[in-house]
Amino acid sequence: MKEQIKKSDGILEIIISEKLTFEDHNKFRELLKMVNKDQQSQCQINLKHLESIDSAGLGMLMIAFETAEKEGVGFEIRSPTGQVKRLLEISQFDRVMTITHD
Amino acid sequence: MSSAASDTQSTIEQLKTRHDVKIKNARILVVEDSDLIRELIGACLMTDGYFNISYAENGQDALEVIELQVPDLIVLDLEMPIMDGFELCKELRSRQSTASIPILIQSGRDTAADITRAFDLGATDMIVKPIKKFEILARTKVHLEHRFFVEKLTDFHDRVASELEQARQLQLDICPSKEELISFHSLYGLRIGWHYEPSSELGGDIGGIYPIDENRIAFYIADFSGHGVAAALNTFRMQTWLSSSANLYSSPDLLLKALNQFLYQSLPRGSYATMLFGCLDLTNNVLEYSAAGTQPPLLKQSSAPFDLFSLFESKGMPLGLRPDWDYALNIVDFPIGAQLILYSDALVEVDLTDGGFLGEKGLEQEVNEIWKTHHEHSPTKCLSELIDRFHRRAGSNANDDLTIIHIKNEGQANDV
Repeated sequence: MKEQIKKSDGILEIIISEKLTFEDHNKFRELLKMVNKDQQSQCQINLKHLESIDSAGLGMLMIAFETAEKEGVGFEIRSPTGQVKRLLEISQFDRVMTITHD
Repeated sequence: MSSAASDTQSTIEQLKTRHDVKIKNARILVVEDSDLIRELIGACLMTDGYFNISYAENGQDALEVIELQVPDLIVLDLEMPIMDGFELCKELRSRQSTASIPILIQSGRDTAADITRAFDLGATDMIVKPIKKFEILARTKVHLEHRFFVEKLTDFHDRVASELEQARQLQLDICPSKEELISFHSLYGLRIGWHYEPSSELGGDIGGIYPIDENRIAFYIADFSGHGVAAALNTFRMQTWLSSSANLYSSPDLLLKALNQFLYQSLPRGSYATMLFGCLDLTNNVLEYSAAGTQPPLLKQSSAPFDLFSLFESKGMPLGLRPDWDYALNIVDFPIGAQLILYSDALVEVDLTDGGFLGEKGLEQEVNEIWKTHHEHSPTKCLSELIDRFHRRAGSNANDDLTIIHIKNEGQANDV
């Protein structure tokens, strides 16, 4: 996993690229420490450049959503493609969180 | 210092002491033809607390001593009568019981050719004469420590490997036996092919079949997120829950709802299982199933040659992620001749030679191709071909469990 952080106008955007897998668990958890209602009103996870995700990675996205939910911060997954998009659809994540497509 | 820090310090001290005692208990063999030097080396080692020292005058003599008790370290001279140090080195490295003993050469022969030859034949380290006490003690300690650490790691590795193997065997035992599968054919007219292949690590795949009554039979396939011991242990947790929930086997949607609630309360956040639970009613030839984010099943609803396998609905929140989730109940015809294939994600997430994954669509195409080609043969041959193709793609790199379940309705005994 490679990540890039952008912060502007109360929006925390976490751009994740390459692969999100079991090995990224600790790193991803660290990223979520940035989700804080005092600093932002919205957290966006941008998956446009994420090539693939495994089962543990999918679980991390749910943890990200729950972290934002607990913090009272809005949450959105943006631009999933390919296998990532398919897995999110099959798992009905869109019934729990906002997923926007390009 | 806090009490916790002081406890940690004291534990470290205890471990160090235990370790030092083990080092000092080490069995050291000194092989040297000169009485004077042999005794000098022995005395050196004894001043540092080593007491378990044995001696040999040449290589042949050393082999006899080693035969009785394998030492933890050998201090070896190169030039000796009968059998010299080079020859002994070579001999020891060729024997399994002595192949990894540290051999510390002490010799006056310090030409590049001698040193190279000694290391080539298996020497661990070299000290050039005249013997310096601090040097021989320092090197003895380093090599003994190294040996004990490696030994400890190897023991640990072997123990874990053996425990993992037992766990893998337990997972295999959950799968229905060949005899059970045959009995389902005579009882229900179902020909069931079952392939479960654990990856090199332990994995989270699980599947099972539960007869309900003479006309109905339930089955499932599930996969826990992550890999390794935790995922494998969770399969047993699920198996235990399912075994005690027989009243729900004929209501897949209610079963998933209840299981989801159980797993939501039991699993750490972010962990989950995907699952498809189905119930076949062979009186009415109907399949009812519910899915929780599992791979879409492949279904062929008749034996007509023009009929093809198609991907069916499997959307659903994976189990354990969200509380109070409702799962859809899918009801489809499963007439005589109908076939169903369930599979774990390893089958579709296998890399293709030209890049990308096989994917569900790719699998659908492949299954139709195989079943068409092997039309005259039994489903077993089709399943074998599907597995062979997976292996050809995955090679020995498969890092996830593979489960494939094939069910064909061949008509109950009284229908035939």
